[in-house]
Formats: sequence, C-alpha cells, structure tokens
Amino acid sequence: MKAVFTFSLMTLRMLFRRRTLWGILLVILLALAGIASVPSFDVSNQGRFILDFGLFGIEVGALLLALGLAANLYPRDRETGTLMPLIAVPLSRWQYLLGRFFGAALVQAAALIVTCLGLMLILLFHRLPIPGDLLPATLLIIVEGWFLLSTVFFFSFFASPPLNWPLTTMLFIVSQMSVSEFVSAMPSAPGLMRAVRLLLPHADVFHIKDPIAHGFEIEPVYFLIAVFYGLCYSAFMLSLALAVFRGRDLK
Amino acid sequence: MRMCTLFISLVLLAFVGCRTDYDIADIAPTEHLESAEHHGHDHDHEHVDGETGDEHSVDEHVEDSHAGHAHSSGNRNHGTQWFFNQPWAAPFIWGKLFRDALIFLGLAAGIFLITGRRRKR
Repeated sequence: MKAVFTFSLMTLRMLFRRRTLWGILLVILLALAGIASVPSFDVSNQGRFILDFGLFGIEVGALLLALGLAANLYPRDRETGTLMPLIAVPLSRWQYLLGRFFGAALVQAAALIVTCLGLMLILLFHRLPIPGDLLPATLLIIVEGWFLLSTVFFFSFFASPPLNWPLTTMLFIVSQMSVSEFVSAMPSAPGLMRAVRLLLPHADVFHIKDPIAHGFEIEPVYFLIAVFYGLCYSAFMLSLALAVFRGRDLK
Repeated sequence: MRMCTLFISLVLLAFVGCRTDYDIADIAPTEHLESAEHHGHDHDHEHVDGETGDEHSVDEHVEDSHAGHAHSSGNRNHGTQWFFNQPWAAPFIWGKLFRDALIFLGLAAGIFLITGRRRKR
C-alpha cells in the first residue's frame, strides 16, 4: 500500500498544478455567487432557495470536477508514454488505478469543501443561519463525487475523453431516476429494467438538501449507511474499471 | 474471461434485482403513506371556501380542503408525499440500502480476485 500512497501523492501534486481544477472551482464559486445574488423580491425563506440551489450547484460541481480531473488521466499517461514504465516495474495495474483514484479523490474532496465554505460565506453575507447539517450534506456529495470519479475512470479505459463526458453525464442523469421512472422507459420488460436499475446507483441516497433547507434533522445512522453505500458502489465501479484495465494490451 | 466476469456479475445482479429493487412508495408501510395524505384527522378545518355546504359534493369538499389549507408546524401538509418518500425519511428502506452496498462490495471483491488470478496465470 506504500506504493499506492506515494503514487496518489504524486497524482495529487500533479492535479493541483493543472489549471483545469482552478478553472472548475472558479466556475462553481461564481455559480454559487450568482444563485445568491438572485433578488428575493421580499419573498420569505430566501435562505431555503440559496441552500437548495447552492447544494445542487455543488453536486453539479462534483460531476464537473470528476470529469475535469480524471477523464484524461489514463489517456494522457498512455500518450506521453509514462504508463508503460510505471506498470512495468514499480506498480501493478491495480496500484496504478488506486493511486490515480485516491489522488484525484483527495483533490476533488478538497475542492468540494472549498465550495461548501463558499456557500457558508454567502449565507453569512446574507445574514442567514448556517444549518448544522450543511457539512454532512457536503460529505455525502463528496461520496457521490467519488462514485462519479470511479465511473469516469471506468469509461476512460475504453472511451476517449470527449466520449467520457457524455457517458458519465448520462449515467449521472439516469442514476437520479426512480425505479418506476426507469421501468416506464421500457414497460414491456419490467424485470430486466429493474435488474439494470439495480446495477445503477441510487443517487437520491446522497440528496439531503430538501430536509436541510426545510429544517428537518437527519438521523446520524442514515449518514453512515449512505456513505457506506457510496463507498461500496465506488469500489464496484473501480473493480469493473480494473477488469477492463487488466484486459488491455498496452503495447 | 473479462466478459465472463461481467456476465456473471450481471446474472448475479439480475437474480436479486428482478425482485428486490423498488421505489420507496412501493413498499412503504400504510402509516408512512397515510401520514402524508390523511393525518388521521376528519377534515373539520375552517375553510374560507368550505362554507358552501350542500352545493358541493363530498369529493369536491375533500379536494378543496386538500388544496386550501396548511397544517401547523410539525405536521405534514397534503401533496408532500414525494418529500417524505426520499431515503433519508424512510428508515424501512435503510436495510435495503445496506444490503445493496454489501452486494456491490461482494461483487467488487469477486471481480478483483477473478481478474487478478487470470493475470497470474
């Protein structure tokens, strides 16, 4: 695991040097500021609006970060010829994948925490209360971001970056659908559609912006289950990515 | 071999998925659904438009009463069932989430071991 740790730190440093990260972070923060600057027209509960749309903005930011950070990691390593020396001696393929994933996951988590702090500052600026569950809600979005990151890695082993973006975005959209909505897309085969839906994640597990915006308390055990679910799904996607990667002939 | 692994994974998931993936509304206990729709009260609120008495049928009265009032803080309002049919508000589905997570974890471990053994050969 020492090799994975060292390689993830290398990945982390490399990603922090890239302008993509800072560009996406700036876009998310500007979007949050834009949401907060929508005039309330004296409508009560402006805080709910800012919280609800702000957390949605952070969630979309997690998708953008996953794609911006990881979509071209493997293709670039292969193009520049750094992949072969890496997996020839110091790293096995699973160590390469985990090192890249952990490095990108740490960078993504740090960026999402910054956006959460930005949302807090906006709430403070508007003299609105900061809900206690805002940080746990961001934690769930971070876990959702890790699932998206593992999906991006999975697609990156057989799809080019321009194709990776729409594929991951499509999965992100489909994972928001309920089982009945998904089955209604092909009502003639409900069993098959339910099975396929089980393969896809239930992204609504990570959504707690509604209760936070309306002042409901979330039970701590739910956070644990949701985080566990997200981590297990990420592990599943990573294992699929590894299966594809291990089958690749890199010569 | 890779395709074989994926095929086995799909069959395993299909086996459990055909019967066990569902929406919260499909399996919610009656009290969970009723608490959003009926609240256990008898619709004796004071309605602005509910004073017309005989001119309205019972159904119209119920419909009007659902749309025209808000409950006090802490009680559910009509038409908010979607809000409470989310995973955070449905403890009866948390076990399913945990089970799904274990399935994914098991599949991940299985795929990792199977594809790793092939490489060693």
